[in-house]
Amino acid sequence: MDILLILQMILAALLAVLIYTFIGFIPGTDETSVLMPITLAIVLSGAQPIIILTFFIVAIVTLNLTNAIPTALVGLPGGVMSSPMMEHSLYLKDKGMSAVVIKKMAVGSLIGTIISVPMALILANIIAPYGESVQKFAPLLFFLGAVFLSLISNNKILSLLSILPMAILFMGLRYLYWSTGIIPKDQNITVSFFLGITIGPLIVSLFSLLNKDKRKDMLRRERKRITIPKEGAAGEELNPFKILNRSEIKKASISAFISNFLFVLSPVGLTILIGEAMGNRIEDPVEKSMTTIVCMSALTQSTYLSGIIIPLIALGVPLSPTAIGPGSALFNAPPVFTVERNLHHILNRWEFNFAIILGAGIGASINYIITNKYASKISNFVLNKIPHEAILGLFISFILLLAYMDAGLINIFGVLLIGITCGTLNRLGVNYGVQFMTLYAAPWIIEKIILL
Amino acid sequence: MNNKEMVEIWGDIVELKALVLAIIISSTTTMGSYFFAPKGHQTKELFFGLGGAVLGFIISTILIKPKRDINIEK
Repeated sequence: MDILLILQMILAALLAVLIYTFIGFIPGTDETSVLMPITLAIVLSGAQPIIILTFFIVAIVTLNLTNAIPTALVGLPGGVMSSPMMEHSLYLKDKGMSAVVIKKMAVGSLIGTIISVPMALILANIIAPYGESVQKFAPLLFFLGAVFLSLISNNKILSLLSILPMAILFMGLRYLYWSTGIIPKDQNITVSFFLGITIGPLIVSLFSLLNKDKRKDMLRRERKRITIPKEGAAGEELNPFKILNRSEIKKASISAFISNFLFVLSPVGLTILIGEAMGNRIEDPVEKSMTTIVCMSALTQSTYLSGIIIPLIALGVPLSPTAIGPGSALFNAPPVFTVERNLHHILNRWEFNFAIILGAGIGASINYIITNKYASKISNFVLNKIPHEAILGLFISFILLLAYMDAGLINIFGVLLIGITCGTLNRLGVNYGVQFMTLYAAPWIIEKIILL
Repeated sequence: MNNKEMVEIWGDIVELKALVLAIIISSTTTMGSYFFAPKGHQTKELFFGLGGAVLGFIISTILIKPKRDINIEK
């Protein structure tokens, strides 16, 4: 490995910090829909695999921390992963403790990163010998994955019932494109279908606006009122051992440790489950909320990191919610990556370790300092300058572009159809994980189940 | 459609007219620069498209004001 490549990796890392620090501060942006498209763009741009991996690791480390900040600062969750912290954050915000909370979040997330990177690498090495046999059964495993994720979700029967219809939708569109000769028979459309699923809930919201009665329900009289606490209330302390007390450090470390073994489960589910359990026995309400938030900050990092690192190194197929959602572009982004030939096959063990450790190291340290010093300033800037309309416009134009590039004009409407269908199912309670697994399993489902 | 109709989407408030404007601007700049790219060169097409998307984002950011009232605690 030469110096030039390492420099490029560092540049990619800085780029990821820059992009995701701003995106993280924007309230309400879903992790999958902000991580997937940008990573995909980098993959398709032809960047070197090791650079892509560095970018992605920094991206998740940055996003998970910056997403938590608006939760504490202005009382809006930055993304899905920070929604479990809402209740505790609001309680502490009312007590005027936002500044301290942000510092503790930063340390919690640092602990999560430090513990889960080596843990995930070790686990990946233990599982790796079985990776090849797992790959042979990949299509079946995707189907079982969809069933499994349905069974552990809140809406089991609904999710199970939606698997076959979704598979028919995806394959129906593919066969239509093949039979009309829009794309050659040996080519599969995946990328834009993924985006269709990701952006589904947003498309359903936008379409609801076109219905007069629905629009009335969504109307708001008032602008969003946001109060940002004064800066510097928590002091200039940067030493993590002085920001957290012993019990908080211990509990955050245990949380991060446990979650690594459960990498196939939903990150947000684990964050709620383990985070709440850690704060459960504490009597003092302030201390309880603080501990829960610290543990949850550690958990958002550890669940995401193990969820991407273990499948990437050991399996080569995206068999975890993180890998199949936000990280899907690392496994399957034709023509650059396919399920048979992706980062898992291209990078060797040493390159994996290097990119992951470098990325996590750069990401965690820069974020730690930025968060501690500039959280209020960045939040103020983003909330004052960046209109939500521009962000929505950006996402919609992403979809248009990638749908058109995949299969021309017809696919813009094909992706729209997927967006409306999957977005509606999402609203009803079928989570992204089930939908993404079904997309992967669709050819197998049609061949082995429906046509049987 | 009323001029100042505001709705809540994706956790934040947007004004309908501004939203339509932002979507039109971003789509035009994105697809516009995509068609400007040299034909048959997928990476360049993608980059032109993404460049257009960023351009659209910047234009919308300049034209549209966020619908948030920010208070800084004393």
